[in-house]
Amino acid sequence: MEVSDWDLVQKCQAGETSAFQELVSRYQQKIFMVVLGLLRDREASMDVAQEAFFRAYRKIKGFKGGSSFYTWLYRIAVNMAIDAQRRQKRNPLDFRENMDGVLEEQNEVEKDPFSNAHDKELRAGLIAAINDLTVEHKAVIILRTVEGLPYKDIGEILGCSEGTVMSRLHYARKKLQVKLKAFL
Amino acid sequence: MIKRCEDIRDRIGAWMDGELSRSGAEEVRVHLESCPACCEERRQLEKLQASLKAVLVAGPSNVSFERFWSGVEQRINRQRVWHEDFFGWVRDLSTPPQLAWLVPAVIILVLMGMFSLESFFPGSRLAVRRNNFAAVESIDGFGRNVAVLRENETKTTIIWLYQNQEGENESTGEKSDASPSF
Ligand SMILES: [Zn+2]
Repeated sequence: MEVSDWDLVQKCQAGETSAFQELVSRYQQKIFMVVLGLLRDREASMDVAQEAFFRAYRKIKGFKGGSSFYTWLYRIAVNMAIDAQRRQKRNPLDFRENMDGVLEEQNEVEKDPFSNAHDKELRAGLIAAINDLTVEHKAVIILRTVEGLPYKDIGEILGCSEGTVMSRLHYARKKLQVKLKAFL
Repeated sequence: MIKRCEDIRDRIGAWMDGELSRSGAEEVRVHLESCPACCEERRQLEKLQASLKAVLVAGPSNVSFERFWSGVEQRINRQRVWHEDFFGWVRDLSTPPQLAWLVPAVIILVLMGMFSLESFFPGSRLAVRRNNFAAVESIDGFGRNVAVLRENETKTTIIWLYQNQEGENESTGEKSDASPSF
C-alpha cells in the first residue's frame, strides 16, 4: 500500500530528506504544469517549481495537516508563480521563450487536437486570450482545467471563498468565450 | 424568459464542473432540455473547456524531470552551507581579535553622527561645535587606536586607525578634546 502524503510529511518533519524526495516525485509534474500555465516560460517555470519545493521543505515543520499537503504545496507554488509573473510583466525581456514555443513542440509529438487550420487559429486565439486574463482569473482557470480541482480546494489554494472561485471562473470563461466567439 | 435564461447561463459552468447543489443542478438540467439558446451556450462552454484542456493539460512532451530533484536538493544543501557559513562567521566575529574591529566602526559612526547632528539640530548640546576637532581614542587591549581629525573650513574629516608598533598597554587612552589649530 502506498504511504500517505501525511506519513511522508511527518517523516520530513523528523528530518528524513528521502521522504521529502518522495513527495517531490509525486507532485513535481503537477506543480510544474500549474506554474507553466501561469508563466508560459519553461525555464522560469522549472526554476519556480523547484524553488517552491525548497520553500515547502523549509516550512514543512510548520505544516500541521489542517489542509491536505497538496493544497498547501499548491498554495506556495501558485503564490510564487504569481509573484514571478508580476516580475515578468515588469521585465518582459527576461522571459523570451513563451508558451507558443512550448506548445508547438508539444503538439508535434502529442496527438494534435488542433489539426486543421481553423483549430490552429482557435489555439492561437486561446493562448492570446489566456495571456490577457488577470492573474487571478488565470489561476482559477489553470487550477480547474489542469488539475480538475474542486472549488473548495481552489479556494484554499488561492485564499478565497468557494463563491469567489465560482464567480472568478464564470467571468474568466466569459472573457475567453467573448474573445473566441468566432471559433466556438 | 430572458431573465431566467441569463440566470441559468451564469450557472452552466459550475453545473459542468459538478459544483451546484442537487436542486440547482436539476434546475439547470431541466432548463437545458427545453431551451435551445442555453443549449448553444452549453455547447460553446464545453468546446472552450475542451480547447483549454488541450492547450494547458497535455504536458510538453520533452520536459524531463530526471534532474528535478537534484535542483531541489542543491537548494537544500546550499541553505545548509549558508547556515554553517553564517554561524561560523558569527563565531569568528565573537572571538576577541576580530571583535576589536567592531569597536572603531561603532566609534566612527557615533562621531560622524555627532558631526552631522550640528547641521540638523544647531543648538544641540551633543552636537560638535563649528570648530576644528581632533581626538585619539584607544579602542581595545591590543594597542589599536582611532584618531579623528575634523577641519571645519573645508569640512574634511580624517579617520585614522592604527596599531601601536610597540604593542604596549594603552588601556587608559588619552583624549585631546581641545580644538587644536592645524
Ligand atoms: Zn434558456
